[in-house]
Amino acid sequence: MSVDLSNVRNIGISAHIDSGKTTLTERILFYTDRIHAIHDVRGKDGVGAKMDSMELERERGITIQSAATFCNWKGKDINIIDTPGHVDFTIEVERALRVLDGAVLVLCSVGGVQSQSITVNRQMTRYKVPRIAFINKCDRTGANPERVTAQLREKLGLNAHMMQMPIGLENDLVGVVDLVTMKALYFDGDNGEVVREDEIPSALQERAKEKREELLEAVSMFSDELMEVMLEEGDIDPALIHAAVRKGTLSLELTPVFVGSAYKNKAVQPMLDGVNAYLPCPTDVENVALDLNNEEKEFAVSNDPDDPLIMLAFKLEDGRYGQLTYVRTYQGKLSKGDTVFNSRTGKKVKIGRLCRMHSDEMEDIEFCGSGDIVALFGVDCASGDTFSSGDISCSMSSMHIPEPVISLAIVPVDNKAQINMSKALNRFTKEDPTFKTFVDHETNETIISGMGELHLEVYVERMKREYNAEVQVGAPQVAYREAITARAEFNYTHKKQTGGSGQFGRVAGYMEPLEEGEYEFVDAIVGGAIPREFISSCDKGFHKSLVKGALCGSAVTGVRCVINDGAFHAVDSSDVAFQLAAIGAFKEGYMKAKPVIMEPIMKVSVEGPTEFQGSIMGSINQRRGMIIGTMEEGNYTVVEADVPLSEMFGYSTILRSLTQGKAEFTMEFSAFKQVPKMVNDELIKKYQSEKKNA
Amino acid sequence: MGKKDLVMNNPLRVLGLEKKVQENGAGMGLVMARAGLGKTAILVQIALDSMLWGDKVLHVSIGEGIDKTKAWYDDILALMTAEEKSESMQVTVTEIMQKRMIMTFKESNFSQAKLEERLDDLLQQNIYKPVCLIIDGYDFQAGTHAALQEFKEFMVRRGLKMIWFSAVTHRDDERKSAAGVPAPCHEVDDLFDMVMFIAPKDNAIDLKILKCVNCAVNAGTSLTLDPSTMLIQKA
Repeated sequence: MSVDLSNVRNIGISAHIDSGKTTLTERILFYTDRIHAIHDVRGKDGVGAKMDSMELERERGITIQSAATFCNWKGKDINIIDTPGHVDFTIEVERALRVLDGAVLVLCSVGGVQSQSITVNRQMTRYKVPRIAFINKCDRTGANPERVTAQLREKLGLNAHMMQMPIGLENDLVGVVDLVTMKALYFDGDNGEVVREDEIPSALQERAKEKREELLEAVSMFSDELMEVMLEEGDIDPALIHAAVRKGTLSLELTPVFVGSAYKNKAVQPMLDGVNAYLPCPTDVENVALDLNNEEKEFAVSNDPDDPLIMLAFKLEDGRYGQLTYVRTYQGKLSKGDTVFNSRTGKKVKIGRLCRMHSDEMEDIEFCGSGDIVALFGVDCASGDTFSSGDISCSMSSMHIPEPVISLAIVPVDNKAQINMSKALNRFTKEDPTFKTFVDHETNETIISGMGELHLEVYVERMKREYNAEVQVGAPQVAYREAITARAEFNYTHKKQTGGSGQFGRVAGYMEPLEEGEYEFVDAIVGGAIPREFISSCDKGFHKSLVKGALCGSAVTGVRCVINDGAFHAVDSSDVAFQLAAIGAFKEGYMKAKPVIMEPIMKVSVEGPTEFQGSIMGSINQRRGMIIGTMEEGNYTVVEADVPLSEMFGYSTILRSLTQGKAEFTMEFSAFKQVPKMVNDELIKKYQSEKKNA
Repeated sequence: MGKKDLVMNNPLRVLGLEKKVQENGAGMGLVMARAGLGKTAILVQIALDSMLWGDKVLHVSIGEGIDKTKAWYDDILALMTAEEKSESMQVTVTEIMQKRMIMTFKESNFSQAKLEERLDDLLQQNIYKPVCLIIDGYDFQAGTHAALQEFKEFMVRRGLKMIWFSAVTHRDDERKSAAGVPAPCHEVDDLFDMVMFIAPKDNAIDLKILKCVNCAVNAGTSLTLDPSTMLIQKA
């Protein structure tokens, strides 16, 4: 295993569905000797590709589960990670993008830049991930890599330049011309494993010269030395070009474009050369951690193997032998048998087994160093946990987990499904902190909540497929909140005498809005008006009251309950009596405290051709949306708006029909805001009628 | 402190701009300074003042993103309302922000015609009808007298009351108009009803009123900016 970090590449391979990502990865594994036979995705041998993704991913065209694999190409260790693209999987996206240093954007030479390519590219830009592009499927009818390169410039705003040109296209694709070395490359052998260098066919020489000129002109912007040689019209050393391309790529100002056909075993190896030459090693990118001892202040990790260990668990997987935890080390080193600290729980963890993952297979290793991506065995943790050697207390990701904004009721169809559902929910909540579940005791339904419709749909589907847990699903509901806006006093006596020992407890005090946090209980009792043993009963009673507010039955948040007086009875007072007294006191004070209903507001970003800007803005306006702004990028416009989540159900269909399917949108949770009066009244009315009919 | 207090306590009142807008109809204003001295902060305060009066503002930002422009509004409004954190003030802030829309363009992609086309999208569907337009980042080096004159006519066509521009001055360019308006706007100053210039002075920053047609103050008057917040200070 290499220890020199300049020989490590942590890359993601991202693509639109059906652009051949799995086939490309299969070829990469074959050419790097990780597998010894090629199996096609839907091949006749029935084996399937090594990295074949979940059936669900194929159906929906999104990456849900990230997988990691490892290979070595010409002395460089390459860790390959899949990146989920949809914003509903915010946490997964953030963590996957966090652990990779560079990426290969795979495009279909016929389909070109499609909607998911736009989404993925935008996320990569946001996370400043240097990338190269691979235009695949050049053997297909209608292949046009030059058009796709132009789309990369126009639609994605990338400074994309072809490093190669194809020799023949569609059925005639036989190889590529390397525009740096000005050599033709052919791929011989049964599986294209033998790369043969030859002279450029005479028919292509003129065009190749033109394309090289274009490339050099673009690349020379990143190297004065190269520009000087070009001005002097001297021979250009390929190393000079490679250095300039690398500089441009790392600064995100250049996207080198490679072409080929993974399925026909053409030109995958030069793309791997591109990964080695142009994508960053761990020390080329700055990664930051949050210092938990210093108000989560950011600091750059050192990448130094001699510094204290910092590593991030970015993916959990339930394997045959227990929980597998994928980690990336950012500094320090880890050996089998070492003890590390989990920053979130503060617990010590002993590393029993350390593996390098290769899709669903693994190989045991003795140690790993800074920049590595490996898997730990049997470590109890959650996705996103940071491990350190204990000398420092830090986190690679913010401890803040966004509140779920949407919920669904699920009911298992039978007893077997009930047991399997519990197992599935247990695993999913551990893997994904934005996915939450609880049982509504009034309806006895299991409620799952998460970050969006797709988020929950995927988990319901995974329950069925992976755990055989068939469940009936209710309609998605917006997770409203209730909050008070004024201070209100309460003084409630709970008294019950029904024969035998009675119940007695009086609780007095006030409630007021709490600026930060969900709930706070303050005991301001003096002189023993409520005995010490019943103080916690009052707290419990208030806590129970928060589960369902009186306005629309949603959870109450942001309340401080202060008790400052009360009364007890030597015989009739009990834990239950004071809990009930507190519940009564809360009810008494709540309506006086001017409660309001809050709804989740989503930050919506719609991107589409400029000609549809008016229609897009109109559709947002109709949804109680507040347009923050518009941004023109070439022929594309991005409209950003704050829109209530309740208005966004079914928006994708509306948007598609408004824009001939040319616009796409993403949304993420922004804040909880008070609902307008009309909506407020409707929600109250609906809740009251539901209560009446219950 | 409510919306009314925010309006009345605003140091911009001294200029009497609201009277100008109400009584005299369309006009163009200009905020000038060297790079990095706070032109956007002044434009945002002018925009917020309009919004507090109930007018809708379209903030056109050339060369900057939506988030950065929005952050200016959030920060300045937070400073203006720092003393009041009540629920009602939160509601007021939300109401005020509903009167602002940001439109951003890349430098190479902006023209008056394109802006008018975009504005038409808003007007035709009754999505947003601005009264005040802020254009931050307009290239006065390239903008001709005719091009700016076109903005004036566009204002009338689209029912706008005020357009405010920002312009970058350069230390080594000493050209000035008769009214004292520095380059690059010295040859187009006749088109502007109001021109302000941000001038650093020792530990303070002055906001000089170079030109003000029908203003409540005379040309030559200076307001002071708080260098730490860039808020216009009361006299």
